[in-house]
Amino acid sequence: MKLTIGYLYGDLMSIYGDTGNITALRKRAEWRGIEVKLKVKSLKSKIKKGECDLIFFGGGQDQQQSLVARDLESSGKGKIIKQEVERGVPLLAICGGYQLLGDYYQPHKGPKLAGVGLFPAYTIAGDKRMIGNIIINSQFGKLVGFENHSGKTYLKKEGQPLGKVIKGFGNNGQDRGEGCIYKNAIGCYMHGSLLPKNPALADWLLEKALNIKLKPLDDTLELEAHHAWRDI
Amino acid sequence: MRLFLAILIGKIIIKLTRFLKLGGGSAAPGLYALKIDPRLVEKLVKKIPQNIVITGTNGKTTTARMLAHLAKEAGLKVIRNHTGSNLERGIASVLITHYQLPTTNYQLGIWELDEAAFNTVVLKIKPDIIIFLNVSRDQLDRYGEVDKVVNDWCNTLSKIDPKTTILINADEPDFKKLKNYFPNIKAFGKKDLKNTKLNGLKGSEFRIQNSEFRINLPGIYNIYNALAAITCAKLLNLPVKNLTNFQPAFGRFEKLPFGYIFLIKNPTGATEVFKTIAPHIRPQDRLLLALNDNIADGTDVSWIWDADFEKLRTTNSEQRTICSGKRAYDLAVRLKYAGFDTKYIRVEPSLKKALREAREGLKGQLFILPTYTALLELQKILKSHYWEES
Repeated sequence: MKLTIGYLYGDLMSIYGDTGNITALRKRAEWRGIEVKLKVKSLKSKIKKGECDLIFFGGGQDQQQSLVARDLESSGKGKIIKQEVERGVPLLAICGGYQLLGDYYQPHKGPKLAGVGLFPAYTIAGDKRMIGNIIINSQFGKLVGFENHSGKTYLKKEGQPLGKVIKGFGNNGQDRGEGCIYKNAIGCYMHGSLLPKNPALADWLLEKALNIKLKPLDDTLELEAHHAWRDI
Repeated sequence: MRLFLAILIGKIIIKLTRFLKLGGGSAAPGLYALKIDPRLVEKLVKKIPQNIVITGTNGKTTTARMLAHLAKEAGLKVIRNHTGSNLERGIASVLITHYQLPTTNYQLGIWELDEAAFNTVVLKIKPDIIIFLNVSRDQLDRYGEVDKVVNDWCNTLSKIDPKTTILINADEPDFKKLKNYFPNIKAFGKKDLKNTKLNGLKGSEFRIQNSEFRINLPGIYNIYNALAAITCAKLLNLPVKNLTNFQPAFGRFEKLPFGYIFLIKNPTGATEVFKTIAPHIRPQDRLLLALNDNIADGTDVSWIWDADFEKLRTTNSEQRTICSGKRAYDLAVRLKYAGFDTKYIRVEPSLKKALREAREGLKGQLFILPTYTALLELQKILKSHYWEES
């Protein structure tokens, strides 16, 4: 069995240790005998329909982020990603990636940056940085991570949050919601890296990508790390 | 008058903290003295004829120590913030501690400033030379992203006296931008080095112009630190002798009777350490890694996923490895995903217990890799331990 992971702008959007999510997906697939191919899709590359079984999109620095925002639109990649998610391809987007897949990003000054419009959400630049450990309740159980963002994301009426904040700020520090889930696509502010310490979520993404039921792994260490975060 | 009062209060706090054994007194005296006279650093530093400021993500302490070593060998009286307390209050504390009436007879001030403190404190120190070592991802929760760090430095440079000498690492791509903000920038880098030879954990040899140098610190990154210090010493017209007798700061590279300590604190620095030590780890050796998430370490531990722990893995799959510190399990998970065999990974959050266990039945060397506050803790444990033994 083969799995192709598309890593959106992996060269530009990979700070905050988000690459750990790719490592987790790759290893957890390989440990089950699944062959993994990683394709980094950046400024010059194209993305074809049906090319990737799973898509990951990390966070970046401000300058890179506006570059990527423009490329998503001008290269047509944004549109294809949206179509892929509509037909059920799983996707995980963290922080900057999450913001760019919403309707728009409104910076402090200047015009709105258009988003892909995949998540029914929009983001407004904030003044205060929301930094610290975050824990949420979600359909995957408790999820733990570390958030560090000043953008405030608001879901539109039809938007469904990934979970409810138990500790931390979440989307905007106001409505206790964190992240957004749309079909098999998840966007959120959780670094950490997220997937290594939340193996249930990693496996859900893999199962959706391959349309199979996975055999469980020995996750003793992962769950210890998960619980250690919850104790903080 | 205000300055006098600030120094007096500062000195009293130093005496009190020492008398009451409250910490090292590296920040509190400066903090309170600055409240009395916010211009204290400016006023006191002005009395020192020459000042150097060193900033960057990695190597500040080692470079500052090397430069101090060269200056002392040349007969200069040096003052510096050797405690690694590289915020303004730390510098104020050092100045107060060593300030003597009527005059201070220091000839050279060497000040290491962290990436953020640099922007405000450098304007007060008004140094003769500023050294920029390197920049890479460090505590994002504290300093922000690399672009932001460099942009802030550019802004600060545009406010600096144009007579200042700026010395940058020519091989750091992110420093190209600095050149647009200052008229005359000098650089050090690969171009200056010849006959570079890495002698494993014993250190390195290299040639600069016509002089041979040997340092007892391993890794290419330490050659860069030495090159920065030597270039700066030459700019100061100091007679540069060898660095053979140089002793590094605790934990940057520490040889213990039973092993080594290497500080790890951010992805680039940690990866350099892994690359340096991995070829020298033998099957009978053990690893002890300690990860804390206190403010001085950075509260966000996701940086371990950007550090190349895959490079620390040896060909021996049975390498005994102990993970410790407040985030011991995060570390263990990182090692598992880097391909370490979990059968040989032990997790013991208590550093004291982890150290005891790591040394039990140890036939080879123990490689200890702690983050900053874990290093401080380790220093305490080792001190009391040696005291018990002797």
